[in-house]
Amino acid sequence: MTAAPSEHPRLVEALEAIVGADRCLHRPEELLVYECDGLTLHTADPSAVVFPESREEVQAIVRACRHRRVPFVPRGAGTGLSGGALANDGAVVVECSRLNRIRALDPANRIAVVEPGVINADLSAAARPHALFYAPDPSSQLACTLGGNVAENSGGPHTLKYGTTTNHVLALELVLPDGSCLELGSPTSFAPGFDWVGAVVGSEGTLGIVTAITVRLSPIPESVETLLAIFPDVVTACRAVGMVIEAALVPAALEIVDQRTIRAVEDSVYAAGLPRDAGAILIAELDGPAVALAAQVERVRELCARAGADRVEIARDEAERQRFWRARKGAFGAMGRLAPDLYVHDAVVPRSALPVVLEKVCEIGDRYRLTLSNVFHAGDGNLHPNISFDRRDPDQLARVMAAGAEILKLCVAAGGVITGEHGVGTEKREFISLVFSDADLEAMQRLRATFDPDRACNPGKIFPTTRFCAESNPKARGYDRIPM
Amino acid sequence: MGDLEALAPQLGDALRFHDPIAVDGVAVSATITPRDEDDLSAVLEALGDARCAAIPLGAGTQLGLGNAPQRADCFLSLAEFARVDELDASEGVCHAGAGTPLEELRARVREAGWELPLDDAGRGGTLGGALATAALAPRALGFGRPRDVVLGCEVVLADGLRARCGGRVVKNVTGYDMAKLYVGSLGALGVITGAWLRLAPKPAAMRVLQGDELDDASALALGNHAARLVTARSCLLCDETRGLRATVELAGDAASVERDARDLAQHGLRPANPALRDAAATRRFAGLAGAIRFVVSALPTRLAECVMELRGAGAELLVLPGLGLVCARSAGTDPAALFDAAARAASAGDGRLLCERAPHDAKHGRDVFAAPPAEAALTRALKARFDPNAVLNRGRFAGGV
Repeated sequence: MTAAPSEHPRLVEALEAIVGADRCLHRPEELLVYECDGLTLHTADPSAVVFPESREEVQAIVRACRHRRVPFVPRGAGTGLSGGALANDGAVVVECSRLNRIRALDPANRIAVVEPGVINADLSAAARPHALFYAPDPSSQLACTLGGNVAENSGGPHTLKYGTTTNHVLALELVLPDGSCLELGSPTSFAPGFDWVGAVVGSEGTLGIVTAITVRLSPIPESVETLLAIFPDVVTACRAVGMVIEAALVPAALEIVDQRTIRAVEDSVYAAGLPRDAGAILIAELDGPAVALAAQVERVRELCARAGADRVEIARDEAERQRFWRARKGAFGAMGRLAPDLYVHDAVVPRSALPVVLEKVCEIGDRYRLTLSNVFHAGDGNLHPNISFDRRDPDQLARVMAAGAEILKLCVAAGGVITGEHGVGTEKREFISLVFSDADLEAMQRLRATFDPDRACNPGKIFPTTRFCAESNPKARGYDRIPM
Repeated sequence: MGDLEALAPQLGDALRFHDPIAVDGVAVSATITPRDEDDLSAVLEALGDARCAAIPLGAGTQLGLGNAPQRADCFLSLAEFARVDELDASEGVCHAGAGTPLEELRARVREAGWELPLDDAGRGGTLGGALATAALAPRALGFGRPRDVVLGCEVVLADGLRARCGGRVVKNVTGYDMAKLYVGSLGALGVITGAWLRLAPKPAAMRVLQGDELDDASALALGNHAARLVTARSCLLCDETRGLRATVELAGDAASVERDARDLAQHGLRPANPALRDAAATRRFAGLAGAIRFVVSALPTRLAECVMELRGAGAELLVLPGLGLVCARSAGTDPAALFDAAARAASAGDGRLLCERAPHDAKHGRDVFAAPPAEAALTRALKARFDPNAVLNRGRFAGGV
């Protein structure tokens, strides 16, 4: 489904008739910023970008696109890291940032109804006066939107205890690819029949455009304790994580930062006063009733020590807790000091496999002569090997891509999967076959076809295409970006 | 039956004829017991080619759930899928076959130092049955919903396609979350043959407390409070002779359980024998002969209105605050009146309803799932894509698909 270039003026005219000229971008210079999301290696030019302010406008936009056989793609803040919001095939980008109202906040029932453009952290801020919060907390929570979180089934550091987006979404208002609208699920979380909400969350915007989300709010825990354990190396830190999991403790978060990242952080504005010679740090956060935490903290401290920690510190106050977290949260910003570009990988392995896999990941980085650092959700087995590089060097870029592919294969061979929170998007669509057979993908395609038989909604995502290897290899094509 | 008999040579020993077993008025006189996934795949293909219809069968504890079948030639027994393939205590995950009895799985998981977070209130069901129906039992308050326990599963789709989704890791967004679609779909799309499950930590301490019989308003206020305690694992309000009696189970670390127990004591609850909780929990799925049983959901602040509607229809109630569910059963009420009352109760609670059990004549002409009309087209389209010959549970699922 792709519109002929000659149709473009009429498409723009139709879109402007719906949202007005001031909420429709269509000139090449206006569209440049929408050519990619957080994965800047992949690019695609949209036909237009529209900013609806109501569900009715979204429906009209979808109908206008369908009428002209132009695909469309919903977009939140564009912070995604797998190319999920890329406008393949000249799609129209439906930018949801103006659908940003919190329609209802119901503290008594611990639910909220929000529009997709509401920023993740803003919902928790709105709920805080009621001693409630929205649990999924992606690292980009100050910028990313809840619509994007629904599309990607986003997680975050506290997924270990609280789960991902799918565990917190109760109902959705969804504009289907034919322009009709459905209410799915129930604010009571009991909805007999197919679990449509479960199917739509994490579908990367390929089943429709979400225009309202009913979420569950959680009570702010009574007490929080944060530990910082310093290890001689990342493998030992991973061993400590395995011991905590095996002891059936459920910390709110278990995050590991390796030495290269620590040094980058300490050299940056995010400096947290960490020892630069530390091989790795483990941040363990426990929350819950105050009466229970002391014993749990002691147990985690003991396990870290037994695993081989050089030192374990416990935050004495909120300021110190924030300092511990600065090392984790500032990591990606700090990596800007290492190289002009950063490839943030995302894969999951069984937690018991972390020590072996991490060792091999580092070996891969060394073998490809790359600057590879690790900062990751160890409690979930969710790795983020980060490769710092310079895309202007084609050879370096090729090595980045080859190392990434090898890391994914390694994780799958260890019983893991190719993505834990970033999604497949365009980035990993050719790797999904490492995890799923043709039959597995056929089942997924049946779901896709139920909602969108013409593949008009966010085409070219998740599923493998025939374009692979040489065709999408930037080195082979001589590009430093990969047009989709 | 004629079509199925024609398949007999092909099915061999896997096909067994027996005395008729009635499923909502439809007599089923044959059971096919596939040996493995390949066998099940071939069986489903053959059934489809012959335009036969089958009902997947675990322990048979929930055969009454669903709309009356449009046709049912045989059961598809998952008895050969009763196995615990892997129990990884270091990881807190396990993989088991769909035919595994929940009690057996629960015992194995406990031996390994973990807890199986699936509750069937002692009905003696199988893993496959628990997942296919996704019924919410009292301990779902602490365990979470069945859909949130499944990390991945294997399914043989209605046309014989063998598909897998998810995996063994605890965090995964690779591809669509198909497990969500299969769990709770009553086998309408395919037969779940095995699943990876996330286990829960075994609690260090447990306590059961019970209160006096209270009027509805007082009991609901107490229940809503109790269900929000950090260690509340189940909270039941059961109809007794003079009112609703609260039974609360606490589970977790010793200090938190002790603290929450003290809180409940201040609200008049006293320590009770755990057997009393189990007895109360069995009422979740208990069915009187000829009775109709509904489960209706409501927002916490609207539970009282929901209860009032169902009381008006003369139903006996079991309320699960925290889960926001009211289970209503009645043997004497006019079915139409009870259906109407349940619909009003769901509307009052901003919730949904499911008729879990009813005499088959009471189901006639109704959708026991009370699926919203707006979802009907999508439901039919999905069923058609996955089960074009309507082999599995024909007519039994939401909207009569």
